[in-house]
Amino acid sequence: MTARLRRPTGAPVGLLCALAAVLAGAGAVVAARAAAPSAERSVVALWASAAALAWCAAVVAAVVLRGRVGRLRVQLAEGQARVEAAHAAALRAGTDTAAAVSEAQASRARANAARTEAEAARIELLAARSETVEARAEAAAARAAADDERAELARLAEQTIPQVVGRLRAGASVDTVLVEHRQTAHEDLLRLMAREVAYGERQRAAALAVCATAAGRVQALATSMHAELREMEHRHGEEVLGDLLRLDHSTAQAGRMADSIAVLTGARSGRRWTKPIAVESILRGALGRIGAYQRVRLHSASTAAVAGYAAEGVMHALAELLDNATNFSAPPAEVHVYVEELHSGLVITVEDGGLGLSEVWLRRAERAVSGEALDLTALSAGTRLGLAVVGALARKHGLSISFRPSSRGGTGVVMLIPEQLVAHPEPAAAQPVRVTARPAPAATAPQSVPPPPITDGGLPKRRRGQTMSAATGSVAAPAAKTGRPETAGRFGAFRQAVQGPQSVPPHPAPPADLPKDNS
Amino acid sequence: MTRVGQPARDDDPDRLYTVTGGRSQAPQHAFDVVTLIVSEDEPQPGMQSEHARILRLCARPTAVVEVAAELGLPVSVVKILLGDLLEAGRITARHPRFVPAQAKLPDLDMLKQVLHGLQKL
Repeated sequence: MTARLRRPTGAPVGLLCALAAVLAGAGAVVAARAAAPSAERSVVALWASAAALAWCAAVVAAVVLRGRVGRLRVQLAEGQARVEAAHAAALRAGTDTAAAVSEAQASRARANAARTEAEAARIELLAARSETVEARAEAAAARAAADDERAELARLAEQTIPQVVGRLRAGASVDTVLVEHRQTAHEDLLRLMAREVAYGERQRAAALAVCATAAGRVQALATSMHAELREMEHRHGEEVLGDLLRLDHSTAQAGRMADSIAVLTGARSGRRWTKPIAVESILRGALGRIGAYQRVRLHSASTAAVAGYAAEGVMHALAELLDNATNFSAPPAEVHVYVEELHSGLVITVEDGGLGLSEVWLRRAERAVSGEALDLTALSAGTRLGLAVVGALARKHGLSISFRPSSRGGTGVVMLIPEQLVAHPEPAAAQPVRVTARPAPAATAPQSVPPPPITDGGLPKRRRGQTMSAATGSVAAPAAKTGRPETAGRFGAFRQAVQGPQSVPPHPAPPADLPKDNS
Repeated sequence: MTRVGQPARDDDPDRLYTVTGGRSQAPQHAFDVVTLIVSEDEPQPGMQSEHARILRLCARPTAVVEVAAELGLPVSVVKILLGDLLEAGRITARHPRFVPAQAKLPDLDMLKQVLHGLQKL
């Protein structure tokens, strides 16, 4: 660069030098021509001009050479500079190279480190992958185990537990039940549950037994009180009759309550009648057990009777229905009971004039008296105990009970007593027994009784609900049927004997004669 | 009355208050134990069975106490039932206490013999 700058200044200096040399030659020529004699002037001038020319040429040559030297020097400087630059560049390049080498080494080291890391990572990855595989295998195994467990649990829930609970409910002991389920996966669980269920079952059974026993005692008390009250009602006059009847009524209601508890706890019913009970007595027996019996009107012309073993149940069920009917109709409203003899049995209809059951209650009532087994948990507050009792009795005796809205505005309950529970007394017994025809029943009654069924061994067979004497029909039946007219006849004879010593006819006189005697 | 001495057995399901419909007082002065009852009507179907039995029994004159014995009911209850029938006009009642005084009463020996005869039965 410096050479390039110096170059343009060198040329003018050279030119100036050349010019000055030319001028100096010219001056020397002029001076030499002027100084030299005129003869010699032409030679001197010629020589001077030649010298000047040589001088000029030398000067020009010097100038040119100098210019060339200058250029060379510039070129040299440039070359030096280039060399320096190259050197510097080389130095830089060397340092760069060294740096690059070191960098390369460093990067190689890093690469090595990275490689080792990558290697380590790969190993880890492999390890992790193997772990994953293991874990997956474990998970699969666990899942299989869980599936097994679930299947086992499902079997436990669907088969084993219901079976165990069912057998425990049926009264088997825990050990007996669990014998079949030894060595099963959930034996401990099963044992724990079985113990709890058995404990609960024992508690329930104990509570039921206590209730049943208590109810039985109250029933027995009520029965004996009834007998004593009846005896007192006979013994005392009418001045205490009202009080006795009230006591009788209260006792009957208490007895019904005890009967209800006995029915719900599965105990035996309170009484067993040994003879068929006439429908009228059934109705009145039911009537006597409710509070508002005076609001019930009976409409029955039926002469049928209900078999003795079922009579108590029918009366009790009917009493509960009547109690419902009177409770759900306002006090002045009457409850009407109708009896109808059908081919399929005896239909007793209870109609009240109350508000009537709602659709929901109607369905609930239907369900309560349907054939479903009694569930004690359904006896929560708000459910009518009476309908549960009716349901239990209906199941026991095969009564069918249905509810319908009554045409009188309330509810009508229809109870069908199946034919096999209904006895139809012989027409002779139902016919009016006239005292004037007194010998006739004695003769006809045994004949009217059907010949008793005979077993294979030749012994008379007793029908259900009948006593043996009623079945044989020879001893007790005539005494029961015809004994009373006999007694009346004796009293008639006694009275006539009292009234006069005149001849007493062996049989009571016809009615037309007696007023004469009295007048 | 006739049941005194029998064991206190309650072999009838219908209670007496259902027989009388809850009443315990007979109409006053209508009957005493020896009033004779005569039925004036046949029993009707659908009638209370005691009423029907009374009507059948009293087809010839019968004393109240006899009716009670026959029905196995206390006299006071029978009086209530007879009161119903009397009100409905189905029976008539005659009072033997209006028997004329000159009617001869049997002597005491006769009564004793009758009593012995009864006890032997």
